[in-house]
Amino acid sequence: MSDRTAEAISAGMSAQIEEMRKNVDFEAKARKILSQKPLLSARNVVVTFSLRGNKLTAIRRTSLDLYEGETLAIVGESGSGKSVFTKCFVGMLDKNGSITSGSIMYEGQDLTQLNEKGWLNIRGKKIAMVTQDPMTSLNPLKTIGKQIQESVELHRGMKGKEAREEVYRILEAVGIPDPKRRYRQYPHEFSGGMRQRVVIAIAVACRPQILICDEPTTALDVTIQAQILDLIRRLQKEQNMSIIYITHDLGVVANVADRVAVMYAGQIIEIGMANEVFFHPLHPYTCALLSALPQLGVKGEKLPAIDGTPPNLFNKIEGDAFAPRNRRALNIDFLEEPPSYEATATHMVKSWLQDPRAPKVELPTAIQRLAEKTENKGTDPNAKHPHMDPNRETLIEVKDLQVTFGSGRKKFVAVDHVNFEIYKGETFALVGESGSGKTTIGRAIVRINPVTNGEVFFRGEKVSGKISKEMDEKVIRSMQMIFQDPMASLNERAKVDYIVSEGLINYHLYKDEHERQDKVQKALSEVGLLPEFSSRFPHEFSGGQRQRIGIARSLIMEPQFIVADEPISALDVSIRAQVLNLLNDLKKSRGLTYLFIAHDLSVVRFISDRIAVIHKGRIVELAEAEELFFHPLHPYTKALLSAVPNPNPYVERNKKLLVYDPSVHHYENDAPVWTEILPDHFVYGNEPELDGYRKELNL
Amino acid sequence: MKKEVKKSVQELESPVVDLKVKPGDVDTEPDLERPMGRKYPQARSIMPEKQLFEFAEYKPQDAERIGYSNYSYWKSVWANFLKKKSAVVMACVFVLLFIFTFVASAIGKYDIHMAPDPTNRAFIFPNGEFWFGTNSIGQDYWAQVWYATRASILLAVTVSVCQVALGVIIGLVWGYVRKLDRFFTELYNLIDNIPTIIYMTLIALMVGKSMLTMGIAMVGFGWLATARNVRNLVFMYRDREYNLASRCLGTKLHRILFRNIFPYLVSVIILRLALAIPGTIAYETTLTYLGLMDIMVPSLGNLLAAARAIFPRAAYTLWFPATIVSVITITFYLVGNAFSDACDPRNHV
Repeated sequence: MSDRTAEAISAGMSAQIEEMRKNVDFEAKARKILSQKPLLSARNVVVTFSLRGNKLTAIRRTSLDLYEGETLAIVGESGSGKSVFTKCFVGMLDKNGSITSGSIMYEGQDLTQLNEKGWLNIRGKKIAMVTQDPMTSLNPLKTIGKQIQESVELHRGMKGKEAREEVYRILEAVGIPDPKRRYRQYPHEFSGGMRQRVVIAIAVACRPQILICDEPTTALDVTIQAQILDLIRRLQKEQNMSIIYITHDLGVVANVADRVAVMYAGQIIEIGMANEVFFHPLHPYTCALLSALPQLGVKGEKLPAIDGTPPNLFNKIEGDAFAPRNRRALNIDFLEEPPSYEATATHMVKSWLQDPRAPKVELPTAIQRLAEKTENKGTDPNAKHPHMDPNRETLIEVKDLQVTFGSGRKKFVAVDHVNFEIYKGETFALVGESGSGKTTIGRAIVRINPVTNGEVFFRGEKVSGKISKEMDEKVIRSMQMIFQDPMASLNERAKVDYIVSEGLINYHLYKDEHERQDKVQKALSEVGLLPEFSSRFPHEFSGGQRQRIGIARSLIMEPQFIVADEPISALDVSIRAQVLNLLNDLKKSRGLTYLFIAHDLSVVRFISDRIAVIHKGRIVELAEAEELFFHPLHPYTKALLSAVPNPNPYVERNKKLLVYDPSVHHYENDAPVWTEILPDHFVYGNEPELDGYRKELNL
Repeated sequence: MKKEVKKSVQELESPVVDLKVKPGDVDTEPDLERPMGRKYPQARSIMPEKQLFEFAEYKPQDAERIGYSNYSYWKSVWANFLKKKSAVVMACVFVLLFIFTFVASAIGKYDIHMAPDPTNRAFIFPNGEFWFGTNSIGQDYWAQVWYATRASILLAVTVSVCQVALGVIIGLVWGYVRKLDRFFTELYNLIDNIPTIIYMTLIALMVGKSMLTMGIAMVGFGWLATARNVRNLVFMYRDREYNLASRCLGTKLHRILFRNIFPYLVSVIILRLALAIPGTIAYETTLTYLGLMDIMVPSLGNLLAAARAIFPRAAYTLWFPATIVSVITITFYLVGNAFSDACDPRNHV
C-alpha cells in the first residue's frame, strides 16, 4: 500500500469514515494477499467465438490471480467478457467458443487442457457457480431438498439419512427457516430471493474452494439483494471460500469486494483493492464509470456521462479499447495497447496515463465527492421544485385509483386507493419493488391498462374510463410513455424511420412526405442520434441508442407529460448517465413533466422533485425527494432506504439493513388513512402510527 | 524518424504500419515484469514520442460508431438455408418438375383427350410409342400423368395459399383481440371436434364433387390448424412493449397486426405453407380414393385410385404417379424443415 493512495483517501475523509475504516481493513487484506501464492492463476487467456461466420474475440489476453479467502469482484458492461472469462474457470463455455491460448493453473493442472472427465472432479466440487436467474437453474419437477441432496451425495459421498441431515443443515445455513418442511417443497413454492438461496445452497453444498457468482442479485429487489449479499459474505467467512463476484452494479461491488477488477472489451483494464479502485481509480474508464454514478451527481447539473457505446468485438480493436469514448485520450491510445503499470503492489492498471512521459490528469470531482461523503447528504437543499410554486398547475390528478386483473376467484388487485397529483414541470417518481403495481399505475394513466375504480384527470379533464374520440386523440398527443427494455420496445422488423414517425402517421400530423422526414430527422438529432440512422433497423443499435430512439418516438408527438417506466434499469452503467442527462435536458428545453417509475432510489433521488413509495399496490409515503431521504417515516420506506447500495465501500460495508415486516401494522381495529403529516409530506398509517411519526418529527 | 514529425493527427485514422520493424522488437505480449521498458516501434513510426503522449482530438461520432453490428436476420436465414444441400437440390428438382409438366404435354405424342380404345390399346407396357404405356381404356399414360401432376400441383398450391392466408388473418385477430378469443375458440372447437371427412362427404354428396367445390371445402376446413398456430404465436408477441408503445401512439388495430406482429410470423407462415402443399396433395388423393372427387379431371389422386384397382395387371400405372407424389412430398418436407431450422436465430452461428 503506497503512502500516496492512503493519503489521498484520508485527506478528505471525515471522522465517521475513519471509524468505518477500522471495521473494513483493506490494508490488512492487501498484506494477506501479497503474502500468499495464488489459488487460481489465469495467464494471457484468449477466448474466441465463431458467430455467424465471423470470429469474435471475447477475451483478449487477460490474466488474473485469485487468492485464498478473498472476494474478487469483476465489474463490466454487458459484452465486456466478464461472464465468458469466468466460465472458462468451470469449463462451461458455449459450444461455439474456445480458449485459443493462455493457461489457467489450478492445483498444479492447467484447466484449459482438461477433458470432460477431468472437469467432473473440479466443476461443482472445487469450483462452483451461482447464476443470475434462479428459476432456470433449478429443476421445477424435483423438490429442492432432492436437488441439494444430489449434490451432496455426488460430491461428498454421503448416503441416505446422513445426506438428508446434511441438507437440513445447509438449508439452515443459507437462511431458509423450517428446513424439514422446505425440503419437500418445489421451486415454484419459493419466492425469488428464497430460490436464489437454494441455488447458493446447491453451490456450497460440497464445500467448494472457489465460488463464482454471476450477477446473482440482478433479478432481485434491492431489499432481497442486500440480504443475499449478506448471506454470501457470511458463507465466505464460515467456509473460507474464495469468491469471484461478477456484476455491473458498483454499489454491489462496494458491498462485497475485497479486490475489484474492471473489465472492458475483453480485458481487465484495472485491478486493485476496493479502496484503491473506488477512491483512486487510475484508468480513464474506471474514473468515467464512477463519476457517471447518479449517486455522486449534483441535482440540476449534468452527470459526467460517457458518450457512445461499448465497442463491437467483431471489429479489430487497436490500442486502448476505450480511447474513442475517452474525452482526454492520448494519441498513443489509438495506436498501441497499453502495458500493465503497477501503481501499488496490489493495484495494476492498463493505461498510458501511468507512463512517466504522459501528462498528469486530476481525479474527477465526483470521485473526490465519493471519498468525502459519509452518507447520502442532500445534494442541493435550495433547489426550486415546481410543487413549491404557489401558482402551481396540476397536470395529472389521480383519485382513488384501483386496477384489478382477472375476475371472480382469480381477481387480483394490483393497485388500490392511489391518490396523487403531478404538477406541471416536475419529475414525480414512483418507487417500489417488482410487483408493487408501479408500472400498472403508469399504464393506467396513459390508458393502456383499464381503470377499475377511481379517476384520472389531465388538466382537470377526466381521461379514464370511456372518453370521446377527440379526447382520446388529445390524450395520446399529450401523454406519452418511455419503456423499460430497449430491446423489446422497438419493432425489430421496422426501420427507425417508421418507428419514430408512427405517431405522425396515425394522426397524419404532417403536410407532405418531406415534412414527415424533416420531423423524424429533427427528433433524432434532438436525442443525439445521427439523422442518417433513420434508414436502419433497430438491431444495428446498442441498448442506449435504442432507448434514445424510443424517446424520439414519443417526443415527435410533442407531449406535455411523459411516463418513463424504468427507462434506465435495463441499460449499461456507462449509458445510464447519457439517458438521464437527455431526460433532464428535454425537461428544460420542452417544459416536460415526468412520471418516473423506478426501483432504484439512488437514481430517483438525483432526477426527481418528489418521490412516492409504493408497496403492494398502495402508496405508503410521498414527499419531496430530500425530505424523504432525511425523514423517512413509514417502516417500508426506511427498509428500502437502508438497502440502497452506496458506492463508498466503507459506508456500504457498515450499513445497517432494516427489514420490513408488514405484521408491525395493526390495522384490524384502527383503519389506516392517507394523511398529510407535514406540508407536502404524505404517509399512510393509522392514528397510533401517525402519532409515532409526529413524535419522530418533533411535532 | 525525425522526418515524420509533421504527420498530422488526421492521418491517425488510417495508421501507416511500418513493416520494416524487426520481429524481435515488436513486443506483443504485455510484460508484467517490465512495463516501463516496453518498446512500441509501430506507434513511433507514425509520430514522435512527444506527440504520442499528448491529448488527442475527441470525435463524438467515433464514440457512437464503434458499437454497430451488421447482422441481418433474413440474410442469415438465407445463408443457413443454402447450407442444407439436400433441401436446395430438392427445391430445384421440384421447380424443374413443375416446368416439365408444361413441356411434357407439348412433346408427348398424344393428347390428353385421346379417344379411348379399350379393346386395342389397353395396358400397353411403356415403349417407344407410349412412353408411360397406356391406361385401362387405352389412353396415353404419359399425357395423363403430366396433366394430372400439373393439375394436382396447381390445386395444392392454390388451396394451401388460400387456407394459410385465411388462417393467418383469423389467427391474428383471434390472438390479438381479447374479446373475440372466446368466439373463435368455440368456433374452432365446433368445427374441429367432428372429423373433417364427414363434412367432406356431406358436401360432396349435397353440393357436388367438382374440383372447385372440393377446393373451397378444403380451404374452409384447412385454416383451422394455421389459425390456432398463429394465435398461439400472437400471444407471445401481443404484450411486448413495442405493441404497448404502438397503442400509446394510437396506432389502429390493422396496422398493429400487419406492421408489428405479422413480420414476426413470416417464417412460421412459410413453414406452414411448405407443409400444407404435400398435405393437400395427400388429402386430395384420399378424397379421390373415397370417391369424393370428380374422376373426370385427371389428378394424381385419380390416377392412384385407378391404378390401385388394376395394380396386379399393370404395376407401371401405379409407379409413375406414386413416384411423383413422393418427390413432391419429400421436397416440401425437406425444404420446410430446412427453412424452419434456418429461421431459428440460435442456428445463426
